[in-house]
Amino acid sequence: MKRAVIVLIFGLIAVFPALGPSSYVLHIATLIFIWSFIATAWSYMGRFGLVSLGHGAFLGLGAYTAGLLFNSLGLTPWLGMILGALLAVGLALIIGLACFRFGVIGDYFALLTLALGEIVALLLVAFREYTGGSLGFTLKRVEPSLLYLHFDDKVHFYYLALAFLGAALALWKLIDRSRMQKALRAIGEDEVAASTLGIPIVRYKLYITMVSAFATAIGGVLYAQYVTYLNPHTLAGVAPSLDIAFKAILGGMFHLWGPSIGTALIVVLEEYIRVVYGTRFVGISQIAYGVALVVLIMFLPKGIYGSLEGYFRKLRRRS
Amino acid sequence: MSILIMNALVNGILLGGVLALLAFGMNLIFGVVKVIHMAYGQSVMLGMYVIYTLSGIYNLPLLVSAAAAIVVMTVFGALLQVVVIQRLLQANRLNQLLALAGLIIVFENFAQVVWGADLRGIQVFMPVLSVGNVFIKTSNLVAFVGALVVLGLLHFFLQKTYLGLAIRAIAQDLRGAWLMGISPRTIYLVTLAVGGGLTGVIAAFFSPIYSVHPHFGGSFTMMAFIIVVLGGMGNLLGGFIGAFVIGIVTSLAAVLTSTEIAEIIALVIFIGVVMVRPQGLLGAKQQR
Amino acid sequence: MLEVEDINVYYGEFQALFGLSMSVGEQETVITVGPNGAGKSTLLKAISGLRPAKAGRISFLGQAIDRLQPHRIVDLGLVYVRESGQVFPQLTVLENLKIGSYLRRARPGFKRALEEVYGLFPRLKERRDQVADTLSGGERQMLAIARSLMSQPKMILLDEPSGGLAPLIVTLLFEFVAQIKAQGYSILMVEQNVKKALKLCDRAYLLESGRVRLEGDRESFSREEYIRQAYLGI
Repeated sequence: MKRAVIVLIFGLIAVFPALGPSSYVLHIATLIFIWSFIATAWSYMGRFGLVSLGHGAFLGLGAYTAGLLFNSLGLTPWLGMILGALLAVGLALIIGLACFRFGVIGDYFALLTLALGEIVALLLVAFREYTGGSLGFTLKRVEPSLLYLHFDDKVHFYYLALAFLGAALALWKLIDRSRMQKALRAIGEDEVAASTLGIPIVRYKLYITMVSAFATAIGGVLYAQYVTYLNPHTLAGVAPSLDIAFKAILGGMFHLWGPSIGTALIVVLEEYIRVVYGTRFVGISQIAYGVALVVLIMFLPKGIYGSLEGYFRKLRRRS
Repeated sequence: MSILIMNALVNGILLGGVLALLAFGMNLIFGVVKVIHMAYGQSVMLGMYVIYTLSGIYNLPLLVSAAAAIVVMTVFGALLQVVVIQRLLQANRLNQLLALAGLIIVFENFAQVVWGADLRGIQVFMPVLSVGNVFIKTSNLVAFVGALVVLGLLHFFLQKTYLGLAIRAIAQDLRGAWLMGISPRTIYLVTLAVGGGLTGVIAAFFSPIYSVHPHFGGSFTMMAFIIVVLGGMGNLLGGFIGAFVIGIVTSLAAVLTSTEIAEIIALVIFIGVVMVRPQGLLGAKQQR
Repeated sequence: MLEVEDINVYYGEFQALFGLSMSVGEQETVITVGPNGAGKSTLLKAISGLRPAKAGRISFLGQAIDRLQPHRIVDLGLVYVRESGQVFPQLTVLENLKIGSYLRRARPGFKRALEEVYGLFPRLKERRDQVADTLSGGERQMLAIARSLMSQPKMILLDEPSGGLAPLIVTLLFEFVAQIKAQGYSILMVEQNVKKALKLCDRAYLLESGRVRLEGDRESFSREEYIRQAYLGI
């Protein structure tokens, strides 16, 4: 039953553009796909207790690497993506080694990553001759092509983003089946016990962190290519880092669909309020979002999907 | 060159005074309620907006708006405790962090909606003194002296009054204090109220110096974190020392390199402390 | 004075006390003994409000206290001294004692209570400006008890006061308890040192696995064969 529903939903999403929706709707959908991709990437780590509040670092590294190489050397974003992702992985490796070797976990880890995200943002601003500082920069205009990830219509990006999201979800399932997942689950529950069982703690934590960084950086490039504009405050620093974490947690970071659901809800909510109240009151959508977040954390710590799932499970048990 | 450094040094020390207040508030709240107030800098921002509204728009004298801001922020702190923080006490630390970080978004966007994204400053004329080659803005000097006075008062409050004693007791042994007839809820309320009032005081000192904007709290919250972790979370003396260290370091760095590099240096110090000595300079050794 | 009727207390899913009933009368000293894990401390935690009972009733001076929070219960005159001499580590001896009189009803009598406490525990007077952390184990236990007296209670719950103390200090400690008893306080004491505790008490309960296994006044309790073998080594 469940599988049929999923296939149906995917099918609908796949044929959706053919049903003739406006390009605005396609735009929103694409944004949802891209941010869901990023939120899912974040959750690779988050679900095992490695909550990072600094993923903006990876987002920004990926986006700026690819974007700068594109603008100055005309390098295809596909390559730029890989390079940026590798840089992000490098950073993850350094920070990960330092943290996990020193036993930095939990909220200290979260705060440390927060600082890290902010450092990357500040660096991007500091090197303003190259990056355009706080004002950011725009990607060069080129002919639409798959090679340069640039299109004139929305449909292409819609499918592209969807494909990437699918890949991220597939990777999630893959991780689920791997030995690493069991190990990380054990580490998440009781690190000391896990290490006495001989589980190489640092190694597995590093792996998942690097995977998460890699994917997030790619997501950053995707977003930058889509909006063709890069800004250190939207792609790095505290704001996007918290944003990603919130989207994932709101939907439920322990479940496959959680981050996507959370993202969808938030993007739709923001757009709705922007449309209804105009740009001046975009702040209101954020307020509502912030309030919703606070309230949700107070009352539904497992996120929307997690809590719903738990609720249905309880119902089933009772019958 | 050395004149520049002298000036930076002096201003760093002066800034350290107010940062010490900020650190005190965060440490008090953390020490007593055991919660990291992620949106503390943003609370200062709100206090500054209150002052801006009263002095900048309605042209009330600065002292009056300062007093009003202190009252408003005290009540605000108490409300925060009752509405949000009390309910977060059962949650794990991470959720607490996230929920309070959510408040950052609420406060900043509230400010943006109500007052707009532009800089809002009040025009207060405060002269610049010069001692030799060093130029001291009276606004900074007043802030420094004022901060020390307030810190002294707070110290007196904590050490010499029954309520202050109760607050210290709750911080050291919650159950023990509870069993002696002290209501934790009441103490939390007082602590958050004092912490709130303190943001009003800081706002009063900042208003002649800085213009406020919705993201003003951001760097101060981060700065407060860094100080608090450096000094040892919950340790009031550590926060005091840490404030001056960070104040001087960032001031010098800003003058020698740039503001961004200065912030980066502070953040790197933060990361270093978290990794190597998470209990900070004066904190007690704790399990991570 | 204190009536515990049929209470169940849990630690999460785990039940620690099963329908337990007991009582302490005016100016009575009652002891509760039993093996580790029997639920003795849990009983005191339930009475003091730290770990509320899920069923049953607890009343003190005729008033139901099973739904009250600890700070209200101590206001009624029932104070709990936890095990291991837990005091406020970074407050001085005097500050610890001041907290004892925090209750509004206790504050007017602070000076007098302080004199009484100093009379009972002269060592504390000597060390009154010393930080509690630096006291020895025995001194901390004295401080914990003294602090509870500062709240001008009617009844004191003592949780293994001799725990972890050297034999000489233990003797001193029981002398103190005897003096407190002589001043007219009601005492409910949980103890491992059955021999010494029995000498002080009016009545005793034996707890095992969360239930009352035996109860009686001092004479009959001491004569119980089971007690003599298991706890008195006779």
